[in-house]
Parts: sequence; structure tokens; C-alpha cells
Amino acid sequence: MIEILAVFLPLVGAALAGVIVFMPQADKHKQHKMDTLAQWITCTGLVLSAICAIILFKDVALDGNARVTELFTWIDSGSLEVSWALRVDQLTSVMMIVVTGVSAMVHIYSCGYMHHDKSIPRFMSYLSLFTYFMLMLITSDNLVQLFFGWEGVGLASYLLIGFWYDRPSANSAAIKAFVVNRVGDFGFALGIFATFMLFDTVNLDTIFEAVPGKADATLNVFGGEFHALTVCCLLLFVGAMGKSAQLGLHTWLPDAMEGPTPVSALIHAATMVTAGIFMVARLSPMFEYSEVALTVVTIVGASTCIFAATIGCVQNDIKRVIAYSTCSQLGYMFFACGVSAYSAGIFHLMTHGFFKALLFLGAGSVIHAMSDEQDMRKMGGIWKHIKVTYILMWIGSLALAGIPPFAGFYSKDIVLEAAWGAHTGVGQYAFWLGITAAFLTAFYSWRLLIMTFHGTPRADETTMAHVHESPMVMVLPLVVLAAGACLAGVLAYDLMVGHHMAEFWGKSIVVLEHHKAMENAHHVPLWVKLLPLVVGVAGIAMAYVFYMFAPGIPGAIAARFQGIYQFLLNKWYFDELYDKVFVKPSFYLGRNLWKTGDGTLIDGLGPDGVSAAVKNIARRASALQTGYLYHYAFAMLAGIVVLVTWYLLTKAG
Amino acid sequence: MIVEALAFYMFAFIAVAAGVLVISSKNPVHSVLFLILAFFNSAGLFVLLGAEFLAMILVVVYVGAVAVLFMFVVMMLDINFTELRSGFLQYLPLGGLVGLILLAEMVVVAGGWQSIAGGAKLAEAAAPIVKSTSNTHALGEIVYTHYVYLFQAAGLILLVAMIGAIVLTHRRRTGVKRQRIADQNARGTDTVEVRKVEVGKGI
Amino acid sequence: MSIDQIIPALPEIFVACMIMALLMLGVFQKGALADQDVKSFRLISGLSVGVLGLTILLVVMLADRQLMAFNNMFVVDGFATYAKVLVLIASGCAIVLSAGYMERNGVARFEYAVLVVFATLGMMMMISANDLISLYMGLEMQSLSLYVIASFQRDDQRSTEAGLKYFVLGALASGMLLYGASMVYGFSGTTNFSVLADLLKGGTPSVGLVVGIVFVVAGLAFKVSAVPFHMWTPDVYEGAPTPVTAFFAVAPKIAALALFTRVMMEPFGEAADSWRQVIIFISVASMILGAVAAVAQKNIKRLMAYSSIGHVGYALIGLCVANETGVRGILVYLAIYLVMNVGAFACILCMKRGDRMVEQISDLAGMSKTHPTIAFAFLVFMFSMAGVPPLAGFFAKLYIFWAAVDAGLMAVAIIGVLTSVIGAFYYLRIVRVMYFEDAEDPLDAGVSRELKILIGVTAFIICFFFIQPNLILEPAAAAAKALLAG
Repeated sequence: MIEILAVFLPLVGAALAGVIVFMPQADKHKQHKMDTLAQWITCTGLVLSAICAIILFKDVALDGNARVTELFTWIDSGSLEVSWALRVDQLTSVMMIVVTGVSAMVHIYSCGYMHHDKSIPRFMSYLSLFTYFMLMLITSDNLVQLFFGWEGVGLASYLLIGFWYDRPSANSAAIKAFVVNRVGDFGFALGIFATFMLFDTVNLDTIFEAVPGKADATLNVFGGEFHALTVCCLLLFVGAMGKSAQLGLHTWLPDAMEGPTPVSALIHAATMVTAGIFMVARLSPMFEYSEVALTVVTIVGASTCIFAATIGCVQNDIKRVIAYSTCSQLGYMFFACGVSAYSAGIFHLMTHGFFKALLFLGAGSVIHAMSDEQDMRKMGGIWKHIKVTYILMWIGSLALAGIPPFAGFYSKDIVLEAAWGAHTGVGQYAFWLGITAAFLTAFYSWRLLIMTFHGTPRADETTMAHVHESPMVMVLPLVVLAAGACLAGVLAYDLMVGHHMAEFWGKSIVVLEHHKAMENAHHVPLWVKLLPLVVGVAGIAMAYVFYMFAPGIPGAIAARFQGIYQFLLNKWYFDELYDKVFVKPSFYLGRNLWKTGDGTLIDGLGPDGVSAAVKNIARRASALQTGYLYHYAFAMLAGIVVLVTWYLLTKAG
Repeated sequence: MIVEALAFYMFAFIAVAAGVLVISSKNPVHSVLFLILAFFNSAGLFVLLGAEFLAMILVVVYVGAVAVLFMFVVMMLDINFTELRSGFLQYLPLGGLVGLILLAEMVVVAGGWQSIAGGAKLAEAAAPIVKSTSNTHALGEIVYTHYVYLFQAAGLILLVAMIGAIVLTHRRRTGVKRQRIADQNARGTDTVEVRKVEVGKGI
Repeated sequence: MSIDQIIPALPEIFVACMIMALLMLGVFQKGALADQDVKSFRLISGLSVGVLGLTILLVVMLADRQLMAFNNMFVVDGFATYAKVLVLIASGCAIVLSAGYMERNGVARFEYAVLVVFATLGMMMMISANDLISLYMGLEMQSLSLYVIASFQRDDQRSTEAGLKYFVLGALASGMLLYGASMVYGFSGTTNFSVLADLLKGGTPSVGLVVGIVFVVAGLAFKVSAVPFHMWTPDVYEGAPTPVTAFFAVAPKIAALALFTRVMMEPFGEAADSWRQVIIFISVASMILGAVAAVAQKNIKRLMAYSSIGHVGYALIGLCVANETGVRGILVYLAIYLVMNVGAFACILCMKRGDRMVEQISDLAGMSKTHPTIAFAFLVFMFSMAGVPPLAGFFAKLYIFWAAVDAGLMAVAIIGVLTSVIGAFYYLRIVRVMYFEDAEDPLDAGVSRELKILIGVTAFIICFFFIQPNLILEPAAAAAKALLAG
């Protein structure tokens, strides 16, 4: 019952706010009242939902009452039977805490942040709708329902990125996000088909039970025999890559920053982008049986991790820096899953959810204070004016850089230790790239802090005069998230990745006997334990040197290594590459098919040609209709002569 | 026999020639007169067939009524037929061609005339020309019995024609002065002024 | 002649007597004043609709078996019943449609309704004809009435011209028909359908007989306005007063097609192989001309004329097939055609501006804003005529094409499908004008109640025909069976 409330309260909120959207008020004052009403409805719904999630966490995770609640049958066709069911186990309950918690904070924060916007009910409705889809995704009991939630969050994300639809950049970013995600979703859908082909069901429990029996099954793909589970897992992973912005399908995430900042915090940092990690963890019983798939997951994760971190070092847009940081952190989570340390991945997902939301909302607060300026080069020296935000950003950055005792320290460490502990080649690959990325993470975090808050103000005077601390309604959620960023690690460490790990996760995560990464993670050499912290501190120190004490160095380096700098600044030229390889050719192909193929050939010979011919004949046929009686009479006589002659010539002759 | 054949050819020839003259003569009055001639000859053909009643009816109705009516109409409406026929020659080749083809075909068809089995008997049954009774008597016997349906239907068609003629001609027009006797009778002396007019002067 | 001999013709006798009664009533009602004209027009129109309604009851009561009367010149069977019911409904609708128009244009005279009923009587006689002579009698009675009402708006030059053209060409067509009938008589010795059918059983018909049939076909093709005997149609449709056009487009078409079907199937059914090519020619030519020529039209009544030519072409496909499925196809087509056309013309009658009727297609612009409901109904009729599923017009065409394919007339069916695609173009053009063009000068608001009801009912039937198609299919199948058995 309580899970039904938790999932459907946001939907109710979204629906009610949606109704308000369609009741615009001419009077400004009245409109304001309606806006407030929409805010109250959705925030209440989310807060209640968050409370339900906490109760559930206690019930399910702490007391071990994992369960499935059947709602009703959805599709019943042949052997395909799909029902709406809410599956709440330990994994889900952790996710629910993150999703509802962050979402509730973002809802409250939005009341302040979107204060001046003219379509508040619409925004609140979208936010709640997104939360509903996300909850649907994490509580799904079968792949189809998972897909439903998956597409739902994609839709909500599209709507929210393009929320300011009068900005062309927001529109194109929304379309980009949608299209790139389509690529992933296509893989995901294929994965579902393959799974259904293999197991004849889409129900998760049934699949998991059948997996060991199908460990050696093969599937015929394009004429070749392949290991069936590997095919399924890789296809499903393509979906995860799309949603979680992994290398290759990451290009939409930075552009998605066109949406309002709370959206970035909610969707593109804390929740939706983690759907891919959640999916891999959820399907751990399947991934465990495919070494190839796990290896791919590790390599993709580790590569994304370092790739995004390098780009993050040179970006100047405050939100883009955090966006690349998100991308990089998602890489950590993936390679944790890849080395079978799912619990470590989810643990990092949870802590990251808190501190990344904190960072985004903090950045939002800065942007708010700077009158919607996002370029760090035009900030600086504002820490005295917005002290609370400054402190909160520090907390977030410390957590991100993995400095004890903040949450990031615990989760990042365990992820890296697990990678070391895997004792495999890819594990080593992930470990060393992860360490390097940790260094870069610390570096760019402090680069952000210093450029934003310290130094001489680079903004114009009117902006500087206007700099102000955000209202209470925006600061309060930040404080709550900051508390999470401080405490989530230390509180949950033992439970989720420590000694009580096995009891805590129960059956929700399956790890095979011979995958000992998590076990080994607790018995690594001391230098492995200390290295992340050391590189983190080193990164911070370097940032101070570069941007505080010797501000000339970055410019000099950039000038010296112009090629590398440009390479990084242009995000490894991924967008340009895609533009050249996919976008331009498809436009070219499309235009050609349209103009030449469709326009000239098909239309010319088909519709247009025929219609031109018809019009021509029509004109002639009408011209026959002279209006003269004797013409008509003559036509009749001629007609009968033709008929009679024709008959006499063919039949009688 | 010979006399009959000669008479037939004479009537037939004159009828066809008169028909051609109806459409070719320049003066419409002449056309109507030729039409009357064609009717007379057709009546002659009927007499040859032994259908004297039809012959008489043709003369009485068509010549006596219809053609005379035509004459009136033609003479009252001053229509310039020459102008109407001005494009006649222009269409003659094509029209003539179509007509010739049709004629040729009809000749072919008529040449191949053969009654289907049993047809001859049926044809006899439908032509009750018997010497013992007069045409009028024979017609009267079947028109009100065998063909009562067609007879009544024809009557109704005439009624339609009558109504149609009335509807199309008898209509209310604005601006037309009509005589209303009741109004005239009801008019008092006040609307009329009687004056004495002196000789050689007007009013 | 005993009384039971005339029982089969009871509905016709009833109508004839009622016509006289109505005529008398009208004449004695009529006073000297103009508003008295309108009053008697309304009274007689109302009574006429009542008479037609009662006649439907009488016709239906006589249904279910074949009856002959008047020395086998008159026949009543399931086929006749079906066709008569359609014709009576069509005439009734036409009178209802006329009411507002006639009064507005100052031609509200009671003779109009009387003449419509007269024409209906002629149609009933045509449908029940079992002899070439009775066929001709019915045809003439119908035609004569139609000539008069075509020029009913005497002060309007176009109306007068329409009536005159129709009359002259109609006389020519009658001449052809009579010529053909005389040839048939000359080559067979009879004019009776039953006897002709017996004569033709077994053995190929003589050349002269078939040429006679071709002439008869020409005369009938004129009445159904099939190519190449269609020339009068656009001019007469455009010139005649709109309600008269609505009447022309429906009732006489149905009657003439029913008669056409009976003549070709009953007496000459055995000679189908000889005359089939003629009908195929007429049908294909009608479909093509109806589809193509309509494209260039600007006047909506002219467009409907070409549309009706096209529809006749489709219906005639069923006659090409010359079997029971074909006849069923025709009958279903006629029923749906009736509903579509009544609805469409009711919509056209809503087109007035500044209290004057307008009839250009461009005048429809912006109708979706001024008359949203009517425009939607018009859209339904146009889509149905274009044959868009699931509207009734689609099924009408479906059964016809089905019959053609079944009988191996693939080429005809393919041409039919192609022309209906071309036809869709001009139907959709009307929809485009209504919905996507803005009017500089919008149409008057306000539509009379009768029109609203007629449009509503017909649109409803067109939309939901597919739910219970058997309501039309089964009677049509029974009628087809009755004709083929007879």
C-alpha cells in the first residue's frame, strides 16, 4: 500500500498541476495564486512520497521485507504476459530514497528558483511527472514496465530540457537528447526482444531463475552463433549507455544543461542518468553470467570516467563543468558494476546523488545571484556576498573530490578498491584511469570554486551590485542535501558495502562466487587505500597553484599545448565527428531522397505528374461542355454510332 | 398488287422528301407546310396497312391541330431561322458522316432480318387486323381492356403536360396590371372627376 | 378484369389518386394573394411527404413475392419493392429540402410538390415495368415532370435554359429508346420482358435484336447520365434550382438505374455476353470522365453533376458483372448514394450569403468557422463519396469492386480504383476550402431545422453504417435474388 502511495502521489500531483496549466488567469494576482497552489500540491505530494520512501526503506531494507505488489494485468497476448507490479526490494528502496529525496528537495528549491517564470504550473507538473516515471522505472517488475518508465523519463527529460521552448538552443538540445537517447533505447528494446526470445518471458523473477540454465545457450545473430546472454546484456547495456551518457552516447548531457538548473540537478545529475547503473545492477543475475559484457561495461565506464574528467578541466560554463563531472562519476559507477562490485556502484550512486544535486543547486544559486550568468570567466570574488552558498559548494566539492569524512570519500574509495580487488586486467585499467580521474576531479572542482568565488570580480558593476544570497526556500534544500553529502557515506558504509553488505542487499543483487572484487576490496594494500586521497589533495593543491597563486600558468600551458587544449575544449571533437559522420550524411541523404528521389522521381512521375495530367485532361473535358444544344445532341448520336459500330465490328463481324 | 406497291413507293418517297424539305427550306412557313405534307403521306401509308383509324387520327390531330398550332406559333414569333441555321454547313460533313455510318449499319442489320423461332407467330398475335371488324372497334376492344394500364398512364402524362404548361406560363409577374372587377365595382365617385371641356381647348 | 388483378399496382393507383386530390386541394386553396401561395405550397408539400410515406407502407406490404398485373405489363417483386422504397425516400427528402429555398426565391407554388409526386409515380412505373411500352410510359411521365421542375424558376434564365436543354435532349433520348424498342419488337415480335427472356433462352440473339438493345441502352444511359449521353447533366444541374438538382441527383438516378438493371437482367439477361462490352464502355467512360472533369469545376452543383456521373459509372460496374452479386452491389450502392447525396445537397443548401444562395466552391471558404457542425457533416459526406473507410461510401465501392473482381473483370475494377483516387482529389479539395481557407465574406449563419435534421440523420448513417451493414445488405441481397429468380 505504502509503495503505491509513494509511486502514485507524484502522478497525482503532476495531474493536478497539469489541470492548473489549462486554467490560465488573466489577472496577475490570481495567476500568482494558482502558481502557488500548483507548487504546494506538487511539493506536498513529493514530500509525502519521500516520507513513504523512508518508511519503505526501514521496512524493506532494514527489516528485510522485499516484496512485489501486483496492480493489474497489462498485456496478455500469447506467452507474453505483462502486469503492472511494484517490485520493492533493497535495491529499489535505496533508489527510492535517492529519487524521492532529491526530487522533493528540487521541487522545493524550484519554488524559489523559478519564481519569475511565467509557466510555473507546467514546470511543476513536468517535474512531478518525471518523478513518477522514475519511480515506475525503479519499481518495475518486468522489462516492459522498465521500458515504460525508461521512455517516460526520456519524455519528461525532453520536455524539461526544452522547457524554455522559445529558445532555439533549448529546443535543439531537447531534440538532441531525445535522438541520442533513441539510439540507446533502440538497443534496449532489441535487448528486451532478445531476452524475451531467450526466456519466453519478460518477468524479472522468472528470468533470474532461468538464467543459470541458459548460461551456455547461444543465439543466432546475423548468421553467427553468439553467446545468448552476452548478446542480451550488451544490447541492454547500449540502452544504459544512452541514458547514463557513457562514452559515445554522452553528447546530449552537456547540451541538456539548457534546461532550468533544478532540472539539471534532478534529472541530469541525481536520478535519470543513474537509470543505466540501476538497470545493470538490477539485471546483475544476467550480467554475472557474461564475462564479455562485464568487461565491456568496465572498459566503457573507465574510459568515460577519464574522458569526461579531462574535458571538465577546461570548460568555462559552470553547469557544463558539473555536467562533465557527472558524466565522469557515472563512469565510476559503471566500472564498479563491471567488476561485479554492484553494491559499491549503487553506494556511489547514492552519495553522488546527494552531492551532485547539491553542487548543481548550488551552482543554480550562484547563477541566480549573478543574474543568470553561467560563464565562470565572468564571475569571481563573490564569496563574501553569498557565504552560505559558498560553504555549501565547498561541502559539495569536498565530497566530490573524495576528502574524508565526506560521502564521496567512502564511495569513491570503495569503488577504486573494488577495481583493484578484481585482480583482472580490465580491473587494473579501471583502477589507474579512476585514480587519474580522481586527481582531475579534485582539480576541476577547485578550479570551479576558485574561479567562481575568489579573485577579483570580473562581472560588470550592475551585476555585482545585484549579487545576493538566495531566499530561504532555496537554501533550505541545499542544507538538507549538504547534510546528505556529509553523512550519507559514513552512515551507510557499513550497511551497503561493509560487513553487513550481504544481509543488507539480500537477493536483490547477485554476485557469482568467483567474482571476489568486493571481498578483496577490503583487503587491499595501504597505498591503494591512500592513493585516491593523496591524488585528491594533490589536485586541490594544483588548482590553488594554477588559479590562485600563479594565474598565468593555465594560460601559458594552454598556449604551449594548443593542440591538446583545443582538443579538450572541443570535447574531443565528438560533436563534430558525429556531425560529420552521422548528422551531415543523413541530412544529405535525406535531402537527396526528398528532392531527387521523392520530389523529382516519385512526385514527378507519381502524384504531381498524374495530377498535372489530370488537370490538363480536366480542362479539355470541360472545354467539350460548350453549352450548345446541338453539340450535345451530336455527342449522343456519335456515341450511339460508336457503340453500334463497335458491337458490329467485334461481335457480329 | 402493283397499284399497292406503286402507292406505297409514292407515299414513302413524298414523306421522306417532305421531311428533308422541312429542315432545309428557308421560310419557316414552308417548313410547316412540308410537315403537313409529310403527315398526309404517313397517313396514306397507314391506310395502305389497313389502319384507317390511325390514318384519320393522324390527319385530324397532327394536321388539324398540331401543325396549325405550329403555324400560329411560327407566324407569331418572328424567329429568324436563317440566322439560327447559319452554322449548318459547317457541321454538315461530320454530321453527314455519322449519319451515313448509321444508315449503312441499319441497312446491314435490316438485311440480316430474321425472326427468331416463334417470333412470327407472336408478331401475328400483336397485329389483330381482321377484316370482319373495323379498326375503331378492334382498338376500342383492347385499349380499355388489354392496354388499360397504358391508356390510363398516357392520360396521366397528358395531365402532367397540362400542369406543366400552366405552371410555366401562368405566373405572377410584378408590374403587370390586371383587371379586378370587384375593385372596379367598389370604386366610388370620389375618384372620378367629371369636367366639361370646351370645344377647341384642352384641360 | 377482377379486382385482384390491380392489387399489385395499388401503391401506384393510390399515388395517382392522391395527386388528383392534392391538385384539387391546391387549386381551391390558391387565392389571389402571394402569401396564400406560400401557405398552399407548405400545405401541399407537407401532405405530399405524407402521401409518399404512406406509399412506402403500401409498397412494403406488397413485398415478398412476384406479382403480375395488367396482362404482364406490370410486375411487383422484391427488387421493385427495394427500389421503390429508395425512390420514395429520395422524393420525400427532396420535397423537404425544397421548402426554404422555394420560399426564399419566390417560386413557392404548390404545383412543385405535385410535380415531384408525379415524377415519383413515373419512377415507380418505370421500376415495375415489365414491358417496353410500360417502360416508356413510366419514363415519359417521369421525364415530363422533371422537364417542368427543371425550369420551375421561370424568371431565372439559367433555370429556363436548363429545362429546355433537358427537354430537347430528353426527347432525342426517348427517340433513341423508342427506335431501339421498335427494333427489338421487329426482331422478336414482342415487347414483353417475360416473353423476351423466354425467347432468348439458349441460342445467340440476332444482330438486329442486339442493335435494338444498344439503342435502348443509349436511351436509358441518357436517363442515368452515363457517358457519352451525359452532356446535359452539368448544365441542367447548374441551371436548375438547387433543391431540384438535389432531386435530380437522387431519385431519377435510382429509378433509372433500377430500370436499367431490370431491362438488362430480365429480358436481355441471357444475351449478357453480347451487350456486356457496351455497358463496360459506358461504365469506364463515366468513371473516368466523372473523376477527371470534376477537377476543373468551380461551381459546386456542376461538381456534383460530374460526381454523379462518376457514381453512375461505379454502379454500372455491377451491371457489367451481370450476376446476383453484381446486382446486389448496385442496390447497396444506390442506397448509400441516396444517403450521401441527400446529405451533401442539404449542406449545399446551407450556403447562402446575404440571404442569397451561393454555389461557387470558393464560397465554402471558412465554413468550418461559421458552420462547424455542417462543415464537419459535409466533410463526412465528401470523405464518404471519396470512399474513405470506414464511412459508408467505402463499402458501397467495396461491394461493387468485389463483384467485379469475383467475376474476373479485373481491368474494370482497377480503373475504378484509380478513378476513385482521382475523384478523392476534388472531394478533398472541398474539405480543404472549408477548413483551410479563410473567407473574406463569410456565409450567413442559421440553418433551418429540416436541413439540420436531414444532415444529422444522413451523416449518422454514413458514419455508422459499418456497425450494422446488414440493415442494407440483407434487403439488397434479397432484392437481387428476387430479380434473378424472376
